[in-house]
Amino acid sequence: MEIEVTGADTFGNEAYKKLFEGLMSEVGKAISLEKVNIVLDPARPLFIFTLVLRSRPESKKISDAVSLRTEGKEVHLTITDENYAPEILSALWKMYGRDNVDQQTRFDIKIENGDDEAIGETVIASGEDAKQEIIGAMWRVLPEGIKARYNISEDRTITIAATEEIMTQELKDIAFEVHNKVKGDANV
Amino acid sequence: MYDGGIYRSNELLEMIEDVGGVVLQKTRSAQMFTVTMSIPGEDKEAMEKMCTAIGGMVRSVPLAGTEIAVVGPTLGRHHMPHPICDIAEVLRQSGAITVVMGLARGRGKATSQISMQEMDIINEYDAAVFVLGNFKSCVEAKKHLFEKIKVPVILVSGPMPDGMEDSCEAVVSGVGRKSERMRTPDERKKLEEISERVEDVLRTRKRTIEEDPLFVHPAEIKQLLEEYEPIKESLRPAPMVLHLDGLRLKVPMKENAGEISEMVVYGRKLGDIARISESRIDDSSMIIRIMTMSEVKDRDGNA
Repeated sequence: MEIEVTGADTFGNEAYKKLFEGLMSEVGKAISLEKVNIVLDPARPLFIFTLVLRSRPESKKISDAVSLRTEGKEVHLTITDENYAPEILSALWKMYGRDNVDQQTRFDIKIENGDDEAIGETVIASGEDAKQEIIGAMWRVLPEGIKARYNISEDRTITIAATEEIMTQELKDIAFEVHNKVKGDANV
Repeated sequence: MYDGGIYRSNELLEMIEDVGGVVLQKTRSAQMFTVTMSIPGEDKEAMEKMCTAIGGMVRSVPLAGTEIAVVGPTLGRHHMPHPICDIAEVLRQSGAITVVMGLARGRGKATSQISMQEMDIINEYDAAVFVLGNFKSCVEAKKHLFEKIKVPVILVSGPMPDGMEDSCEAVVSGVGRKSERMRTPDERKKLEEISERVEDVLRTRKRTIEEDPLFVHPAEIKQLLEEYEPIKESLRPAPMVLHLDGLRLKVPMKENAGEISEMVVYGRKLGDIARISESRIDDSSMIIRIMTMSEVKDRDGNA
């Protein structure tokens, strides 16, 4: 992840770079970021965080988080990514009813008369959710008092501009300018 | 401070009494036992021997007998738990009792505020450590949060702010907002620096108190109150906390103030030589501020 920080306060620049890296690693999103541009102007105050993701967040299907096999009329699922276990169970309960979904162990599930193709194609997390998680982490990095926020989300590039009082058109224009520049530099 | 097991700890407590010392704080957690004590200097060596003999460790705790508030702009996840809790922890290691406090509206450069009640609560402690953020202009703009606080204030911030000379007693820079524990050698050193600055500030405060000494040392009032039934029965972890100029008692003011103010110390009623008031935190604790010798004399003269 390449991070560029611009701002007049040298201590703040370095501190926010570390804070950003730390928080993104904590929420497990650092790996999905290609480029980050941070503009810090505490005097105004205006903070602009622009991220370019490595790839466009795509929807997660059940087949991405489990290994599936069919034995006669039974479909067996072995969960490989436990983060999605609650979503998988809830989707299966919705499709087949609680009585027909047998969770044998923490990772193993058996379904009587199940359709492995339909199960595999079921969406458990949309790409939008992944984007929202990244935006949530960016909000954690921003100073707490900087409450007036404006988001720009386009394909792989996400920008959040934040100020303390009114988000004027002038500040939004600055945010757009930074957003387009970072997007252009990254050839998105 | 003795830090060890509960085994033979009664011998330690007897020895503290024999040498004319005082137990400032006693904490037991399962088989672990810590005792913060104040003893005469000439008995230190004998006390160390005794502590080693019963399998514990003894170390000097310069902040013993003080209660310090560590204050952040809010209790939100932006400021908590790091570095506020790291600072509170290092002060506890030096013997202080600490509380962590977040202001209701302390965040924001232009919108930060502190209420009168929050100031009153902070003024109940011996000192306050204010922990602010990463931008110089923001730290300087938040000076108003602590400039009216009456107890000594130590400011901990990221960059070194300008113009703080009249607003706080000491400034430690190089900390700021953090997303993880302060555990690198440089960060541990910074925490030690904060602890040393707090010690310096409180040493000055002790000297100021010595210029016009208190009528009675807070530890003597503590000894007197140890036999007071509601305090003996209190289940709160530290029902009595020593301050430099008094004590915090964690028993309700309404039910206990009358009896406590009638207690006799050196032939005087406690109510006559100390100001007893309810804590601004809630009605379940009270603050005793002992008057100085000159205040008591002045009061006697006016009577």
